[in-house]
Amino acid sequence: MNIAPGDEQVMVRDMVRRFLADRYDATNMASGPMPAEDWRALGELGLFAFLLPESVGGMGGGAMEVMIVAEELGRALAVTPLSDSVVLCGHVIARGGAAGAHWSEPLAQGDAVLGFARGGIARAGALSGAAGIVPGGMAASAFVVACETGGVTLVEADAPGVARSPVRLVDGSIAADLRFEGARCVPLDISEGDLSAAVELAELAIVAELAGAMGTLLDLAIDYVRQRKQFGKPIGSFQAIQHRCARLYTLLEQSRSMMLRAALVRDDARGQAVTEAKAYVCDAALRLAEDVVQLHGGMGVTDELAVGRGLRRVLLLSRLHGGSAAARMALAA
Amino acid sequence: MDLALTDAERTFRDEVRAFLGDSLSPELRRGAALTSGVFAEPDIARAWQAILEAKGWLVYHWPAAAGGPGWTRVQRWIFEKECAEAGAPVLPGMGLKLVGPVLYTFGSDAQRAEYLPALRSGEHVWAQGFSEPGSGSDLASLRTRAVRDGDDYIVSGHKIWTTQAQFANRLFALVRTDPDVKPQQGISFLLIDMTAPGVTVRPILSASGDHELNEVFLDDVRVPVANRVGAEGQGWSIAKFLLENERGGSSFAPQLLADLRRLREAAGPFVGEFADRALRFQLEAQALEMTELRTLIEIDAGAAPDPRSLTTKLIASEIRQGIEALAVDAFGLAGLQLPLERPFYGADAPPPIRSAEAQVAVARYLNARAWSIFGGTSEIQLSIIAKAALGL
Repeated sequence: MNIAPGDEQVMVRDMVRRFLADRYDATNMASGPMPAEDWRALGELGLFAFLLPESVGGMGGGAMEVMIVAEELGRALAVTPLSDSVVLCGHVIARGGAAGAHWSEPLAQGDAVLGFARGGIARAGALSGAAGIVPGGMAASAFVVACETGGVTLVEADAPGVARSPVRLVDGSIAADLRFEGARCVPLDISEGDLSAAVELAELAIVAELAGAMGTLLDLAIDYVRQRKQFGKPIGSFQAIQHRCARLYTLLEQSRSMMLRAALVRDDARGQAVTEAKAYVCDAALRLAEDVVQLHGGMGVTDELAVGRGLRRVLLLSRLHGGSAAARMALAA
Repeated sequence: MDLALTDAERTFRDEVRAFLGDSLSPELRRGAALTSGVFAEPDIARAWQAILEAKGWLVYHWPAAAGGPGWTRVQRWIFEKECAEAGAPVLPGMGLKLVGPVLYTFGSDAQRAEYLPALRSGEHVWAQGFSEPGSGSDLASLRTRAVRDGDDYIVSGHKIWTTQAQFANRLFALVRTDPDVKPQQGISFLLIDMTAPGVTVRPILSASGDHELNEVFLDDVRVPVANRVGAEGQGWSIAKFLLENERGGSSFAPQLLADLRRLREAAGPFVGEFADRALRFQLEAQALEMTELRTLIEIDAGAAPDPRSLTTKLIASEIRQGIEALAVDAFGLAGLQLPLERPFYGADAPPPIRSAEAQVAVARYLNARAWSIFGGTSEIQLSIIAKAALGL
């Protein structure tokens, strides 16, 4: 068994970490979606290509690569469309034949965002029906849609019959309340298994973003309890505070373990391991974020500190794709 | 990165699996499954210890220089995982896991030559004399006195919570050799012959009705100075080594996962609230398994243990207690039957209502309450984590 990352993986991780550290600190973390120029700059650095299969000019990105990049974005509490746009739609497009191939390069370059939706009925090349609230959906140039009738289809966002209205979500990102009314759609040639594999990778990305966010939030809390004085002493000298922090540390390490486990298992066992990780980490991350707010006292509930904003981002991430509730139901079945 | 076993590791696992298939009799397996206490009792422990020793795997966690098989941490983990999956008895750790490593690390040549072979053969059965009535979490306040008299110490004091002392003939104990220095600096580590005059063992019955615990009274017991391990006053640092070894030496998750699987087989399939609880502990144990593996793999690669290794005993205690509570509930009122006869296996076992697994459930639940107390309470664990991992 070997769990050390490879040289290239370390290089990319350090690159992304530096890029984010230059732009984000506790004063501006999670204060809104990442600016488009930063997203594009990450694309130009080759970060998204690192996550995409070779068939679309990527570098064969698999679970390890997805985990490493997502954990770094999570560490910066960056609000980005990484999991659904790059990972999920990117892998679906890569395996989906010619119909969506024109989006691969813009996706890899960071020039385009794609949205992923479930719903709608496709008949004779036209898609109709409600597709729910789609994260990042207002900025999306196209939608990858898993239809109610089975199959996956691609809809250009500017096609007639695509109706979307903006929904500001809790992390400040703008989703679309999306509805299709006879919108032109092109079926993607992708198997159920390949779709599931793409969804698994996206959920691994969510888990890793959460684990990264947990690390940052706990670091902020430890710094704070060392500095904040009450009764003439740093509150971190009180046992009640120490024990709460120690609990959060165990949650963080256990969550990292679930993340690593999901990334490192054999491909054929990944679906199960990702679902287990999602069931564990979504709950652990939210609990940690809530406790970190508690450790910051009144300041924790303000919009001024990264921890309050971090709670909002963690809340959103931990509810994507049904969150732990969906994962637990799947595991109990 | 790769979580799959290498070819060599897979070959090793198959060898362990084959050995367990051949050597672990149904009687031993049943005895292990129906043991209500924390450790196997002498009837099955001795038999299993002899089988492992004959194979050369009894002290699998000792380094080669101390007589171990020279396995990597990952190999030791594979062995523990296979033993847990196969349902092998859990051998008492006082000799093999606690005093053994102390002896090969700090013992003199003469001590190693005398004690290590006798430990392996089973001639010496060890008990741990650390806690006292007034010294639990604050262990350094211990008051058992050892006063020098020529080539002997005269030892007087009162040890408590001494697991399986009723079966032991040797006691390793922390004693105060110097009352005039800082508490930690006045402690020494002695090896005491429990058959010597002045040693009295008195049983403490657990709430489960099991007899696992004892008090040990030491009344002017003569102990040769040659039985002191390390220097006078070095006892506290040896004890810290021992407790760290207790926490970090072997993995908790394999046994927890195997026990949860066996509970599902015996009382499942779980639905509703039971399924939720089982899943919660399963996820926690799966995470713990990876937390432990991460550290083992890093140590094999030459790194010092990561502070995350400090979390495992705390987490394992909670999973253990959760599993035993789930078992009690899963068997309904049959899970509350508590006959007083012991053991629950063998020809003289009391007749179980519903099943033998149901019969042992509540005793195991009650005994498992001790998990968050022995070896450093959960509160002490949290304080250690806050200090050592978080710098608070």
